[in-house]
Formats: sequence, C-alpha cells, structure tokens
Amino acid sequence: MSLLSVRDISVHYGQLAALRGVSISMDEGETLFVTGPNGAGKSTLLKAIAGAVRPSSGSISLADKVISGQPPEQTARLGFSMVPEGRHVFGSLTIEENLRLGTGIRADKDRIEGDLETVYEVFPMLAERKDGQAGVLSGGQQQMLVIGRALMAGPKLIAIDEPSLGLAPKVIDQVYDTLLKLRDSRGLTLLIVEQSSTRAMLTGGRMVLLRGGKIVLEGDARELANDESLRRAYFGFGEH
Amino acid sequence: MKQPQSVLAKTISTPVILIALLVVIAILTALFGSGSFARTVTEIFIRVAFVVGLYIFIGNSGVISFGHAGFMCIGAYAAAWFTVPPMMKKVLLPGLPEIVSNAQLPFLGSLVLSSFLAALVALLVGLIMMRLAGIAASIATFAFLAVINTVYANWESVTAATSSVVGIPMVTGVWTSLFGASAAILIAYFYSISRWGLALRAARDEDIAASASGVDIYRQRLISFVISAFVCGMSGVLYAHYLGVVNPDAFYLGITFISLSMFVVGGMSSLSGAVLGVVIISAIIQILRWFEKGIDIGGLTLELPNGIQEIAIGVVMIVILVFRPAGLLGKREVLLKGWPFKRRTAD
Amino acid sequence: MTAVLQILFDALAVGSIYALGALGIALIFGVMRLVNFAHGDYIAFCVFAMLVPSTDVVAIVLIGKLPAILLIPIILLIGAVISVLSEMLVFRHLRNANPATMMICSFALGFVIQHVLLMFYSSRPKAINLWSNLSLPVEIFGARIPLLQLLTIIITFVILVALMWFLKRTRYGLEMRAAAEDFTMARMLGVRANRVIMTAFAVSGLLAASIGLILATQTGVADIRMGMPIMLVAFVATVIGGLGSLPGAVICGLLIGAASVLLQVFLPLDARPFRDAFLYSAVILCLLWRPDGIFAPRSAKQRV
Repeated sequence: MSLLSVRDISVHYGQLAALRGVSISMDEGETLFVTGPNGAGKSTLLKAIAGAVRPSSGSISLADKVISGQPPEQTARLGFSMVPEGRHVFGSLTIEENLRLGTGIRADKDRIEGDLETVYEVFPMLAERKDGQAGVLSGGQQQMLVIGRALMAGPKLIAIDEPSLGLAPKVIDQVYDTLLKLRDSRGLTLLIVEQSSTRAMLTGGRMVLLRGGKIVLEGDARELANDESLRRAYFGFGEH
Repeated sequence: MKQPQSVLAKTISTPVILIALLVVIAILTALFGSGSFARTVTEIFIRVAFVVGLYIFIGNSGVISFGHAGFMCIGAYAAAWFTVPPMMKKVLLPGLPEIVSNAQLPFLGSLVLSSFLAALVALLVGLIMMRLAGIAASIATFAFLAVINTVYANWESVTAATSSVVGIPMVTGVWTSLFGASAAILIAYFYSISRWGLALRAARDEDIAASASGVDIYRQRLISFVISAFVCGMSGVLYAHYLGVVNPDAFYLGITFISLSMFVVGGMSSLSGAVLGVVIISAIIQILRWFEKGIDIGGLTLELPNGIQEIAIGVVMIVILVFRPAGLLGKREVLLKGWPFKRRTAD
Repeated sequence: MTAVLQILFDALAVGSIYALGALGIALIFGVMRLVNFAHGDYIAFCVFAMLVPSTDVVAIVLIGKLPAILLIPIILLIGAVISVLSEMLVFRHLRNANPATMMICSFALGFVIQHVLLMFYSSRPKAINLWSNLSLPVEIFGARIPLLQLLTIIITFVILVALMWFLKRTRYGLEMRAAAEDFTMARMLGVRANRVIMTAFAVSGLLAASIGLILATQTGVADIRMGMPIMLVAFVATVIGGLGSLPGAVICGLLIGAASVLLQVFLPLDARPFRDAFLYSAVILCLLWRPDGIFAPRSAKQRV
C-alpha cells in the first residue's frame, strides 16, 4: 500500500481551476519531483495535501487514512511536514522556537534533541543565532530555517516547495545531501517541487511534470532527462 | 469598461423595486396603521436613509465606518439651529452667531442646508482621514465620532450640552420620511453606477490593479465619504424634525452599532442589502414587541416576558450571520429579470 | 514633588486598566482577526455574577460575600468560562467569515449579554460594597495614594509578568504566539486551531474578570454598561499599538490612560470638558503618523 495517494483531485479558486484531475502515488522512502512552469499548480498540489486548500473533487489519503477535508493539524499528525512557498518563518519567534514548534506532535520525544543537533550541524548559521529573532534572517537563512523546522516535526513524508530558492549552490547541495541521508537512514519520503527539472535529474527519483493544472508527463527523472518529450511538454510545444 | 448607459439600463430596476417596497409599506400604514405604528414606520424610513448613507461609503469602499452617526448628529443639530424659533434660540443657545439665531428656515431649506453642512464637515475631516485604509481608517472614524459627541455634549452655548434642544417643528411623518429614504436610495444608486462608484469598487476589490490603472483611491474615498455624509446628515435632519428634540446621546454608540448590524445582516456590499436589512430587522423587532405585549392566537394569549425582544434580536442576527456570513443578500441586488431590458446580475 | 507623584500614580492606575483591556482584545485579535466587542460585557457579567438577581438599588451580594481567597478565583473562572463559551457557541461558527461580520456578531453577542443582565438586575446601577477598606489612602514619599490604586498597579504588573511567562515559557504560549503570526503555517506544523483559540479566549476572559474586580472595588457600583468605555479605549489602544502586538497594546493602553489623566490636570478649566475630544484627535494624528500602529510587528500586513 502506498504512503501517499492523491486520487483525481481538482482545486478551484473561485471560477479558476488550479488543478484538474491530478493523481499521484508515493511509496515509503521514495523521492518524487513535481516540476512545471509557473502557475502549473505545483504549489496548489502541496497545499491541497497539507489541508490548506480544499479540493473540489477527488480524495487524498496518507498512511491509509483519508486526509482531504481534514484540518492541516490532523494531516501534520499523520507525519506530513511541509515547507510551503513563501517560507512563512515566524518572525517574532526565536530561531530555536521556530524549530521546536513542530515537535509538539512527535511521539518519539527522545529523538528531538538529537534531531536539533543534526539541523544545527547542517546549518551552523542557525546554531549561532538560535536565540535571535527569526524575522531578521536573510532570505536564504530563512529557507534553511523552514527546512530545518519541517525536519524537526519528525515526518514520514516531507514536502518542500522550491528548496533551492534563495540558497547558494553549495548550501543547496548540503540540503539535498541531508534530505537523501534521512531518506536512506529513516525511510523519509521526499516530495519536492522544483520549477526546473535539473535537480531532479541530478538526484534521481521519479518525476511528474505539471502544466495547466494537469500531469502531462511522468517517469524516471534520469530517463526523462534525455527525452525530447520533456522539453516539449514543459513548454507545451506540439500540442493542439 | 462598461458604458454607464448600459449599466443604468441593466440595473435601474433595483432602486425602483426598493422604493416601491417602501411606498407599499407607507400606503399600508396610511390605510390600516395606528398612530403609533405610523411613528414606527417613520423611524424605519429614517433608519433606511441613514443605513443607505452608510452603504454609499462602506459598501463601495469596503472600509467600515463607526463615524457616520456623527454626521447624523451634525445634520440634526443644524436643523435645530435653522428652524427653532429665534426667540427660543436666544435663550437656549446664546452662543449661536447672529445670522443663525435670527434665521428661521422652512423645512426644505433646513434639510438641504443642514445636509450640506454635514457634507462640508466630511470634506474637511475626510481630507485628513481618507489617507488611511483598513482598520486604521475604521478607528479614525470612531475617534471622529467620539470627538463630535464630546463637543456636542459639552458646548453649552451652542448645543445646550447634554440637555435637549426643543422647539424643532415636528414635520417629519410617514410621507416625508418616505421621501427622504427614496432620495437616499436614488443618490446611492446613481453614485454607485457612476464612474466614481465603479472606480471605488474596483479599488475595494483589487486595490493594486485599480491604482495601477489610474484610480486615485484617496480621492475616490473622499468623494464617497462626502456624499455618504450628506445622506446621513439628511437622515439626521429628518430625525430632528420627527422627534422635535435633539440630544447628543441619540447619535452615539447605540445608533452606530444597531445600524451597522442591520447593514451587515442585510449584506455589506449591496444597496438592496442595506434597505432590506433595515426593513427585515425592524419588522422582526416590531413583531417581537407585539409578542411582548401579548398576542391572541386562537384564544390563547401568548405573552413574552419584557426584555426578550432585545435578546431575541441579538440571537437572530448572530444566527443569520453564522449561516450567511456575507449577509442576507451578499453582493447581490434585487433585480427584475428582463426589466426594462434583459440581463440579470448587477455589480 | 508630591503632586507629581500623585499624578504619576493616577496615570498608572487608569492606564493599567486600559492596558489589561487592550491585552484581552489583542490576544483574541491575534489568533482570529476578531475585534471582540463583547469583551466589555464580559467585564460587567463578572461583576454582576457576584450579586443576587434583583432590581433593588442596593445590591445583595451573593458569592461576593465569600472571602477573597475564594471569591477571586471564582470570578476569574466565571470570566474564562463565559469567554470560552462565547467562542464555542458563536465565534467558532464564523471562522471563515470576514472581519466585519465577526465584529458585528461580537457586538450582537454583547447586546444579548447586556439584556440578559438587564432582565435579571434592571438597568439601575447598584451600589456594591467590595473591600471598601482598600480605598483608604497610604502615604508614599508624602503623596497620599489610595491603597487600591497601588494594588491596581501591582496587580497589573503581576498579571503582565505572569502572562509574559505563560507566552514565553510554555508550549501553549509558544503555539499562541506562532498562531497569532501565521495561523495556517502553525496549523501545518500540528498546532491545534481550536486549542489555541480557546486558550486565547480563556486568558482574555481572565483579564476581563480582573478588570471587573478592580472596577467594582474602585467605584463601588455595578452597572450594566460599566465595561463599554473600557472596551472602547482598549480597542483604540490595540489598534494604535499595532494590531497583533501584545506589548504595543499594553504600552498604548498605559499611554492613553496617562494622556487622559494629564489632559485632565493640565487643560485650562474651560477646555476640560472637551478632554476626550483632544484625546481622540490625538488618536487620529497618531494613526496618520503610523497607520499600522506604533509597535506594529515587522511582518504585520493589513488583513482587515
């Protein structure tokens, strides 16, 4: 049985359809990249899974429980942790408070301190300023913080909207290293939204391409890399 | 951009229906109503005029105002200044300037002049306050109301402070107030289909897009504020000429909140909502009052304990808003489909 | 010197009550963008809860006769309960409504509470005698300060410290601060919306009850409308403090209290009746100067 199963969901903002009949399924320990141009519905897909927007049709389940229509805090409790677009750092909280906020739902309380150390190791800059207000961090630093914060919730499935946004290339590599290490050591499942497919091809894993609220291409990232159909699907060439 | 002409053609049935509704109520009152019922209906019509005044500003700008009772106050006191017999004024209000205390205007003259005074004050304070948006603007309007109330409740020689000013000719009845409410509805209607009204509503819904396409939000808010103050001032004049007495506390928090409630229950973004909100809530209040006095149903006298009416109306408003958070009408208007031309939706 | 001290204590005492009120409003606003106009009526409700229902002028004290050590927790509890109940019965059903709708509902709720009190107690203000020996003056550096004034200031200070501890050092507090800043994100991290909102209402109710106790002792009167003026000033203080900023609410509550005391002292005699006109004009100027509030959090965006 798959960990996450999105079945034929559509999301509407007023009259506007942001997603039209999208289905994806993920197994535990898997990596899935969702790519596509601006406005394709990538972020909406994550928000729908998180419970921040309500699908107008279709259903979503996580670990065999239906989560569509459930409040976000319920979905979080089932092991879904999210880094939404726009970062959403709690600016008036300290960095450490930001990191600890998501730990309230963890069953494995004894691992919290260890995970905190891991986060501080990956992002030493956060450790330096752990008692400072998060609001003064730069864009890239905030990105590190929200990724760390999502990890601190001890998720089974972590969804990240554009992890590389605002980060230096070296730090991007570090972030991906950490994520992949956790995937391999703890069976963490990764759902990653990236606008470009370059990173997906480097990292490997499955990839879906969204355009206009629909999945237009799906397959192994490395196999798709050399495929002309990817470029065509991304830009919408050759469609009627 | 829509042509004003075609907007008029599509939506003219709205004010016609609303005014017709009030005319029917007035005729029924004249035919069957008692004296006290006629007074109730007069009060409702005055309230319609006031709430429609609120709609002109709040409905089109989206900024909640707590201050418009202040304009009602200004209008009502101006009506007293212009129409109380000079003999009485010189004793009661010795601080009035000669030219005012010697004057005794007819009702219509006082109506126009006093409403203009309210609009003038709105222009002056609006020049300052309309720079604000959102909740800051709301608080500023509240502060304005508090200032007006403090001034009128303490300026002994001009407003008689907290004692009532008496001697205002009691000329407002069902028909006069019907005229006032209808005038308010027409002003509101023509404003909201005008270029000003359209621009302000565009700014309400999409402020960045609107200012990018050249809408001066500050100016549009100010225009709407002044027109709405004129209408609210007018309702104050009607009220003064209805009661014959003015007192500052009649124009403070009580009327502010009740009127805002009726307005929001009706639907904040709709002229029809403003009118129907007042009519429906007032009707429920009246029915509850009858029940408090005791009503015969098939030989059984049903009598509610005193005080239940207010509690019930509060509960009714909450229930309506829980089930219809945008108010009874939301953004819609009452429209006669296909009259005089085909087309349904307004706004 | 003693005169200055006297004024200082007056200003602090008046400001304390406004600060507590503003805090109660700001807490709720922070987590659900609701301006709770019923807050003033919670204050009156807590005071009347001490009395036997009657229409007499002199109130018959019921639980008000209990020793302070019992009375105070009971009244605080009543405040928390009515506040939480109003969340469960009314505001919970309006979570997705626009701020104007929520505000009008809170007003309607306040109206209902007021008229329920009116039915049982009549509209006449009642004299109540609660710890009247607290109004005896004590001498501090030559200034004669009513003991109660001193207590009001101390109590406010203690409440502020306790609240700060609660917000900074407890899990509930952490979740509340996070929710006040970005509710959806907090929920995505597992923060339970209902729990946070109910905690905010409970704390807000406690604050209303403490104001009720202080006011009743100070004035010796129970009046159905006694909470309204406090609520209005508190509301203004919350906005000019920067909506969502708790320290801003407290500081501006104190400032408005101080400003009203100072105006009362220093305005010329003729202008003194117009004190509130000056006060509210200053409020308008303040809004023009800083539309988002003096202490608006950096991230604060207007959502209303």
